[in-house]
Amino acid sequence: MPTITLAAAADMRAGTIRRWRKNRGDAVAKGEVLVEVEGETAVVEVESTLAGTLTEILAGEGKTVAVGAAIATVASTDDKPAAIAVAPKGNVIPILMPKAGQTMEEGTLVKWHVAIGANVKKGDVIFEIETDKANMEVEATDSGRLSRIVLPEGRALAVLQPVAYLADNDADVDAFIASQGVAPPPQPSPGVPGEGETVYGTRHAASAVVENGRPKSSPAARKIAAQRGIDLAALSAGSGPGGRIISTDVPLNVPPGKSAPAATAPAGVTRKRMSQMRRAIAKNLLLSKQTIPHFYVRLTIDADPLFAFYQAEKTRYPVSLNDVVVMACAKTIMEFPAFRSRLENEEIVESPSANIGVAVAMDDGLIVPVVMSAERLSLRQIAGETKRIAAAAKSGKIEGMGSGVFTITNMGMFGVEEFGAIINPPEAAILAVGTAREAVVVKDGAMRAGRVMTMTLSADHRLIDGATAAKFLARLKLILESPSQLA
Amino acid sequence: MVVIGGGPGGYVAALKAGQMGANVAIVEKEFLGGTCLNYGCIPSKALLASAELVHRVRHAADLGIEVAGQVSANWTQIQARKDKIVQTLRGGIKGLLGARKVTIYSGRATLAGPGNVVVDSNGKSESLTASKIILAVGSVPSRIGGWPTDPNVVCTSDEALHWKTLPKKLLIVGGGAIGCEFACMLQPLGVEVTIVEMLPRLLPNMDAQVGELLAKIFAGRGIKSFVGAKIENLSVNGPAARATLSDGTALEADRVLVATGRRPNTAEIGLSSVNLIVDRGFVRVNDRMETPVKDYYCIGDANGRCQLAHAASAQGVVAVENALGHGRAQDSPVPNCVYTFPEVASVGMTAEEARANGRPISIGFFPLSHLGKAMAVADNEGFVKVIRDRESGQFLGAHMIGHNVTECIAAATALLHQKASMVDVAETIFAHPTMSESLKEAAEDSLSMGLHLPPRKVMRVAGGVA
Repeated sequence: MPTITLAAAADMRAGTIRRWRKNRGDAVAKGEVLVEVEGETAVVEVESTLAGTLTEILAGEGKTVAVGAAIATVASTDDKPAAIAVAPKGNVIPILMPKAGQTMEEGTLVKWHVAIGANVKKGDVIFEIETDKANMEVEATDSGRLSRIVLPEGRALAVLQPVAYLADNDADVDAFIASQGVAPPPQPSPGVPGEGETVYGTRHAASAVVENGRPKSSPAARKIAAQRGIDLAALSAGSGPGGRIISTDVPLNVPPGKSAPAATAPAGVTRKRMSQMRRAIAKNLLLSKQTIPHFYVRLTIDADPLFAFYQAEKTRYPVSLNDVVVMACAKTIMEFPAFRSRLENEEIVESPSANIGVAVAMDDGLIVPVVMSAERLSLRQIAGETKRIAAAAKSGKIEGMGSGVFTITNMGMFGVEEFGAIINPPEAAILAVGTAREAVVVKDGAMRAGRVMTMTLSADHRLIDGATAAKFLARLKLILESPSQLA
Repeated sequence: MVVIGGGPGGYVAALKAGQMGANVAIVEKEFLGGTCLNYGCIPSKALLASAELVHRVRHAADLGIEVAGQVSANWTQIQARKDKIVQTLRGGIKGLLGARKVTIYSGRATLAGPGNVVVDSNGKSESLTASKIILAVGSVPSRIGGWPTDPNVVCTSDEALHWKTLPKKLLIVGGGAIGCEFACMLQPLGVEVTIVEMLPRLLPNMDAQVGELLAKIFAGRGIKSFVGAKIENLSVNGPAARATLSDGTALEADRVLVATGRRPNTAEIGLSSVNLIVDRGFVRVNDRMETPVKDYYCIGDANGRCQLAHAASAQGVVAVENALGHGRAQDSPVPNCVYTFPEVASVGMTAEEARANGRPISIGFFPLSHLGKAMAVADNEGFVKVIRDRESGQFLGAHMIGHNVTECIAAATALLHQKASMVDVAETIFAHPTMSESLKEAAEDSLSMGLHLPPRKVMRVAGGVA
């Protein structure tokens, strides 16, 4: 297929792609402007010298290419290759693993909603994925026939890698894949909800060009690579002049390596891959225990008034004992800014509201959806919210992810008397709540049968000192022991 | 701590050490303030101020001012005013050092083995010991080997700043900052000036267009520049000097100013006693100003990094912070100013440097002839040029020539220090009407977003086919 190259204009030796006026798949006429290219002192518009269809953009926006380098391929109407001629449209559209959120690195395909051969329409839900944070449904942003599924259910893939291809003709897909070389390039998302980012992978099979003992690369590329923990020497040649690796050539994440072969297991022992959720739990809590100096403060309250209050409220609307604890915590947190703070580098960032995470147990792990601005809600509203977000979380949709300031974990329903919890980063503290158990209560020298509840606060000593934690718990105790003020 | 040298590097280092609580002594062999105050920045600016006033009075009619009678410059009075400023500032440094309890030694310092410094003063010798030693010994103007040495005819800037009389015809050898400043200063005072520069343009270390425009402006005032020219032979016969250029051109003058650079003042300070070696006279250091020998630091002109007073001061602070255990590297951009009229200023990368670094760049340009403030002050020659990385969008450098641009460069320097993008520069609000607005205009131009210039011409080319 003929390629359009960057032509020389005045003294321009290389240009940076500023804007493509034509997209892949667009029909182009001879003389029509394809792309705006920026040189040192001028902007140059490059016209098409061919009539036909723009089949491939070889230099994405922001990329710098030398004069004479190929920037696009055009299937000329006068000179159509055989493979294209078979299919009326000849278009192959890769569908990519979406990048939903800054931190998403890969996703596991949970379920395909369409079968091979089906015609999908823009907006149709075509598959469902699981990430370390949530499950989500992915819609098609292009219409076409699902020709090939490359990622079966249950398998994980790095973001922006193709999971399937839309094409009228299956042979086109083979040709397309072949044209992409060993590693299929992530194209600027025809089929995925992105975040407005256009991300290009490396498309060059040749290995990096070495100059002065290191890969030929731009300072920006080296900086980005260092940030992403990527070894430039492991990349293939870049798209800059002479194979120079430039910033846009650096992949978003370390290319996934081959997994180690499974050791032979004795009989009866099973081995399975950790789920996304277990991996997320492992990563977060390991980070927390290793980097946050935890300390623990424990206190037992007289739970009689609390229990009575809860029983009375429950007759009017569905509410749990934990909802009352959430509300009391919200009030207390507003009085203690350290409990709605997080560390960012060497700065303490204080949140204006008490967004409280509530740990919810799942079959294979736990998740922590967040009640946003709990300090503004009535007990009835909190009860409604916790129910709603827990149900949503169980169906795979976590709310308030990342905006929590404090977490409450309650094992009272299992009869646990007391326990210590690990802080959910980047929060400053977590409260572990035990059961409101029957016990002998000694008050003013007299014994009576009553209820007590033990709460254990885990706090980050970088943000909270012992006395502050003690005062926080004392204040919380005061509120929980006279709960009528929460009604 | 002992600081050797009382220039803008050394005295600032001593003040910083005093502020940080160190027991510090400073040794100066001649005058506090060093080259900057006594033989450089300050005296030359004082003389330039007189010269610029003469220049502007001669052009007063442009602003509707009629000057009756003869305007004449009294060189003796001009010199006296300059000397008074220098005196005042020397006293100021002494006061500051005293206030920080820095002990001042007047004399010549020599390194005498690890941790020892000997100060010789009026035949007396005193030994100092220190755990940290900062070399801030500065530089002296270079002279050209083999040339006549008659100090009344062949001079350097050291002598020129103290000339009792002005020459009639002056030959300046070297078209860098010093050569250009003297040319600009002396022409309005009635001196016929010729500059010879070996490299292809004036101010060869700066943006090419800047030096080219300055040469054109100078030519308009009658200052002749020979660039890409080498003096093959210089002879002095009584009060007359005669130079021959490689192309055979003969130049005559009654005085010659050699302004070909400055060499480090490191020859006689006993470096070998502590095993410090020099590279072309410079004591090389890392970004923390550490020499290869532990506890010895070198700042300013003598380390060969950047021969500017403000760079020396910044290095002095970094050296002291590192010596006293608060590690830091000096990697901030250093602005470079030339005080001709119009002024020249630059910071960061030039287009040539960016290209050599392999960075794809876009150049923004704004001519001062389009700037309201420049017209209002009747000084609208010049331009501001900015360099942007086309891929990362980063602001890489600014290069200016025009009225008051040595003040405008501060905004560019601050933005560069903060690693601003060119969009950040363009989005900054600059006061109107000011000269510094031209920085924003140039930034917008580099983004093809300028409003006060006609739209950038868009070229149209047909794509190649392969």
